[in-house]
Amino acid sequence: MAAPATSMPLRSFTPSRRRFAWMALLMVCLAIGLAAAYQVFTKGLVVTNLTDTVPWGLWITIDLSAIALGAGAFTLSAVVYVFRLSRFRSIVRLALLIGIIGYTSAMLTLLVDIGRPERFWHPWVYWNVHSVLWEITWAISLYLSVMLVEFAPVLAELSLFDRWPGIRRMGHRIHKVTPVLALVGMLISLIHQSSLGATYGILKARPIWFKPSMPILFILSAMAAGPAISMTAAIILQWVTRRKTVPLEVLRTIARFSGFGLLAYAYVKLWDLAAVAYYGRTPGTEGAFYLLNQLTPYGFGFWFGEVILGIVLPVLLFLAPGLNRRRGNLALGGLLAALGVAINRWNVTVSGLVVPLSYSPGTLYRPPVGLYWPSLAEWGIGVGVIGYALLVFTLGVRFLPLFPVGAKNDQTSLRGSRLPDR
Amino acid sequence: MGGAEKKVKLELTRRDLFKVAGAAVGSAAFAYTVTSGPLSPFSELRRRQQTGTETPHEDARPVHWGMAIDLEKCIGCNYCTWACDAVNDVFPDKTWNMVVPERTPSGAGFFFSRPCLHCQEAPCVEVCPVQATWVRDDGLVMMDYDRCIGCRYCEVACPFDARKFNWEEHTAENEFTPTWGIPEVERRPRGVVEKCTFCVQRIDRGLELGLTPGVDREATPACVNICPVGARTFGNLKDPASPVSLVIEDNPSLRLREDLGTEPSVYYIPPKEGL
Repeated sequence: MAAPATSMPLRSFTPSRRRFAWMALLMVCLAIGLAAAYQVFTKGLVVTNLTDTVPWGLWITIDLSAIALGAGAFTLSAVVYVFRLSRFRSIVRLALLIGIIGYTSAMLTLLVDIGRPERFWHPWVYWNVHSVLWEITWAISLYLSVMLVEFAPVLAELSLFDRWPGIRRMGHRIHKVTPVLALVGMLISLIHQSSLGATYGILKARPIWFKPSMPILFILSAMAAGPAISMTAAIILQWVTRRKTVPLEVLRTIARFSGFGLLAYAYVKLWDLAAVAYYGRTPGTEGAFYLLNQLTPYGFGFWFGEVILGIVLPVLLFLAPGLNRRRGNLALGGLLAALGVAINRWNVTVSGLVVPLSYSPGTLYRPPVGLYWPSLAEWGIGVGVIGYALLVFTLGVRFLPLFPVGAKNDQTSLRGSRLPDR
Repeated sequence: MGGAEKKVKLELTRRDLFKVAGAAVGSAAFAYTVTSGPLSPFSELRRRQQTGTETPHEDARPVHWGMAIDLEKCIGCNYCTWACDAVNDVFPDKTWNMVVPERTPSGAGFFFSRPCLHCQEAPCVEVCPVQATWVRDDGLVMMDYDRCIGCRYCEVACPFDARKFNWEEHTAENEFTPTWGIPEVERRPRGVVEKCTFCVQRIDRGLELGLTPGVDREATPACVNICPVGARTFGNLKDPASPVSLVIEDNPSLRLREDLGTEPSVYYIPPKEGL
């Protein structure tokens, strides 16, 4: 077992032109985000292209995608601390960092998205236990706290705390209860990752949303793409920093897990499609799909974006024995899976709202069809949040001991594997 | 894994047998309690279906404010929308009450209008994460503008497009005042959701003064008062002598999307060509 004290940051603090350019890019992203946020906070949400017909858009898509991609934290924590597969220990800290980044990014976006940001604390005080969104708010706040506590020992290892051994001792003590945290985190995640899908699935008036498969599709895609993006991050870090991060065998196992996860997701998705749009189609869903395909590139987004890019290609890259031995293929697969999840969240959010509600008893009148494309301010917030995420990631990688050093530890943890590291 | 076959011998003691049997009985009892027993989410529904009562809590209430809209009478003049805009200081880009031309399946034209339907099992109330909206004891679906966080989930959940969001601060003068009425309520701030209230300010004030909403004009929603052809009636659905009950009694009526089970408080009288 790798003792936390034997870890150190990936690189020492030396300036370079490449690093400066990267930081400058991130600062530009943040500046764009801040400018957009200023617009939103001074003028109101009128600067968005959201309407009363389509009240949710790009920002909700970002929230959902960020939380789904943060799912690697609970999955890999559970693998290491609950199921005791200690060879994945080398990636669990990175997954936790990505989880924290994902959840805080979602919260930042939500803060801009809600009409009264100064009332963000209301769900904690004014409970509506019937509301799936109330449950999600609570679960997300609780799980972020769990992740931060779980991550505290890593922070305690910062050389900043060399002078305060008490803090480091506390970090060690917290580290001892990590299995409990991982278990709690897994339970909360299993609830809220699926509840995000239920947000749409329970709305009985919405023809293509209202179905019990929504929560299942959300959690399966999150559990498949979340670990994959952590794996991808480890590979990219190894390229950029030219230091060993996570052994290939561990990455391959994660890729295989993600591949099978994506297959399970595809299976449920296929049956969902067959049941809703083919065998059990209703006039409501049929009309909705017809409208969607007439007015938006829904079919293309679904088949090309979600299925081919997001499922078929990553599954091949993750599972085909000839392909999944190369780090490049694994990284590409992870990025594609993440892209597929983001496209899926966009398709779910926007498409369900584009379809008009048919409550009018007559036949002629249809409420205005809600076509939507994000405004400049909305893209600006998106760029800013991505800038924030990459900045925290960069700083975390630079200053935090994310990867246990010492090849010995890696060797012992690799004992169970059958293939040599290439 | 090992390759070599292993003999597996199953030994079961009496104690093990009792344990298994106990677990089986226990889980069966648990399953019964949470599926059809008292702890089940369906127990209320089951009781209701067995006893044949509709919504029991509703039956106990003496007052349930409701509206009837006669689509045969409506001439599409839009006065209801404008009176509502003035009295509730609503801006025309987000009317609480809308009127649109419609056509029956046989091709006859009519005008369809829609306030908030004040559903008794309102989807918007269920989804609100902060309980900023709720069903009051007299059936009104209320809004607390000071509690609303502006997440717009209620807008997404409402089957009838009845909810509107304040995308910006409205500072301009309302074009419908004072011609169509004087604002009786405060203008809503930026960033909260609003909707038709059945002119709750008139109902509450009227009851204080001993008036009867639906009968006395001062206690009746503005849209009902202004209608030049009397297409709208208002009153207590629980009182068989109230104007709204009489209209529903004398005419065939329907409620929107009854299949969703939201139990709206607004009844529509279809045009004579049928719907």
